[in-house]
Amino acid sequence: MAFLERSTKNTENRYWYPEENTFPVSNRYTTGVAGQRFFGELKDNARITGTRCHSCQVTFVPARMFCERCFARLDDWLDVGSEGTVFSYTVAYVNRDGSAKPEPAIIAAVRVADGILVHRLLGCNAGEVTIGMKVQAVFRPEAERTGSILDISHFRPV
Amino acid sequence: MNRVAIVGVGCSRLGSTSRDVSYREMIFEAAVKCYEDAGGIHPQDIDAFVASSEDFMEGISIADEYVPDQLGAVLKPVQSITGDSLQGLASAMMHIQTGQMDLVVASSFSKASNVQHYENVVSYACDPVTVRPLGENPYFIAGLEMQRYLYETGTSEAHCAQVVAENKYNALFNPLAVYGAKTDIEQVLASPQLFSPLKYQDIAHHADGAVVVLLASERKARELAKKPVWIKGIGWATDTPNLDSRQDGWGDAVYARLAARQAYKMAGITSPRHEICFAEIDDTFSYKQLQHLEALNICARGEAGKLLCQGEFSRQGGFPVNMSGGSLGVGYLHEANGLYKLAEVVWQLRGEAGRRQLDGVKTGLAFAWRGIPTATGVAVILSNLE
Repeated sequence: MAFLERSTKNTENRYWYPEENTFPVSNRYTTGVAGQRFFGELKDNARITGTRCHSCQVTFVPARMFCERCFARLDDWLDVGSEGTVFSYTVAYVNRDGSAKPEPAIIAAVRVADGILVHRLLGCNAGEVTIGMKVQAVFRPEAERTGSILDISHFRPV
Repeated sequence: MNRVAIVGVGCSRLGSTSRDVSYREMIFEAAVKCYEDAGGIHPQDIDAFVASSEDFMEGISIADEYVPDQLGAVLKPVQSITGDSLQGLASAMMHIQTGQMDLVVASSFSKASNVQHYENVVSYACDPVTVRPLGENPYFIAGLEMQRYLYETGTSEAHCAQVVAENKYNALFNPLAVYGAKTDIEQVLASPQLFSPLKYQDIAHHADGAVVVLLASERKARELAKKPVWIKGIGWATDTPNLDSRQDGWGDAVYARLAARQAYKMAGITSPRHEICFAEIDDTFSYKQLQHLEALNICARGEAGKLLCQGEFSRQGGFPVNMSGGSLGVGYLHEANGLYKLAEVVWQLRGEAGRRQLDGVKTGLAFAWRGIPTATGVAVILSNLE
């Protein structure tokens, strides 16, 4: 068990494999039975839906097919409306790559029924946001909706 | 239950970078230290090996196939755990408890400085339909968590800043630590806002390093070790991965609460603050240390920040925490975080912690969290008592 040599000069470290070591990760992600319907409702009807577990007294938003608590099948679909309350929030000063945002962005965890939607909060400044504040989802125009969580453009104070 | 002891610990040098060695050479260094620490074991005498790592971090996939050679594990039973290395420790422990094996290695490493776009890896770990489309840096989740934790408990940003100041100070006495510093609440509070209320200095900065630990059955431990350290209890739990249904889990570390309950029960601990002498606890973000202390039932909810500022968790306090410097002071070692914390507890219990040594400690706690965006934690109780 011997390991007797080491590099002692940074300039000797010439070999990095490779400098631009990237590969394009691209794949599809199947949203599933519940996802098809949830995102379909967002796209076609600008409607946020949840599924109710009657034994746990919980309405999951986004809707899903099974209860993660009691493992029951969920088939009671509800229109949960477009309003919610701020459960938590943060002000993001940097982008994903760490670069500074031109303007800080408020990201909120919005409680809708018993679920949490994480999304941008516009229409107020950071100092005005409070936990418990009522907010409303603003949808993109129908022609721009694609069946994505971004069909909700953002939330805004009610 | 078959008892299991730690009989060898090896830690490579740690650094904010490590240009001189490959990650496999780094693990080799830690492995040699571990085997010598155990009295000069040859890896041929070891029955099995458990490595903890995540794909993408090594710059290769199927990383588990690259485990054996640097541990001396070629042509031996090898298993990988994709999780914190204390989850790997649990697996290694269970290997021995089958009664089929006497010596098993747990290993982990971080070569964070090689990862060019960590944020993309973490982003890829986020829900692909509800979170990733936002295109934000996933650390915003920590900002949301911290805000909710402060709101629910009345803890202040200054309390969190004190965690940073204490841990970085403790790290000054740890020769392995990378980020030791003498700083104060004002400096931490003045550091750049990233995901308010989370600031730059609230975040543990990454470090490179490897940790290898040798576990032994009771029979083998008595044969090999002058100072065996016994695993008295271990527990781990995972909250839902879904941000949308993580109810109490936003403000409270529910995973830690459950992991600790399991570990305490196994160790027969009913009053952790009094029956455990000290702890090494996850502090990936400053608020996490306080949230974890409360979830681990070391104190009541909302109490950790105040107790910290009264000195309860310092060297002279009633319950010293993160004498190593924690991840804020030592450096964030990715999946090796847990095993490093365990190594610190072992050194303390053997009386080998140098200037960090606490007097007369008998029982210690190591707790690891798997980081953003996970809700997985592992608690381990160790003791030098029979």
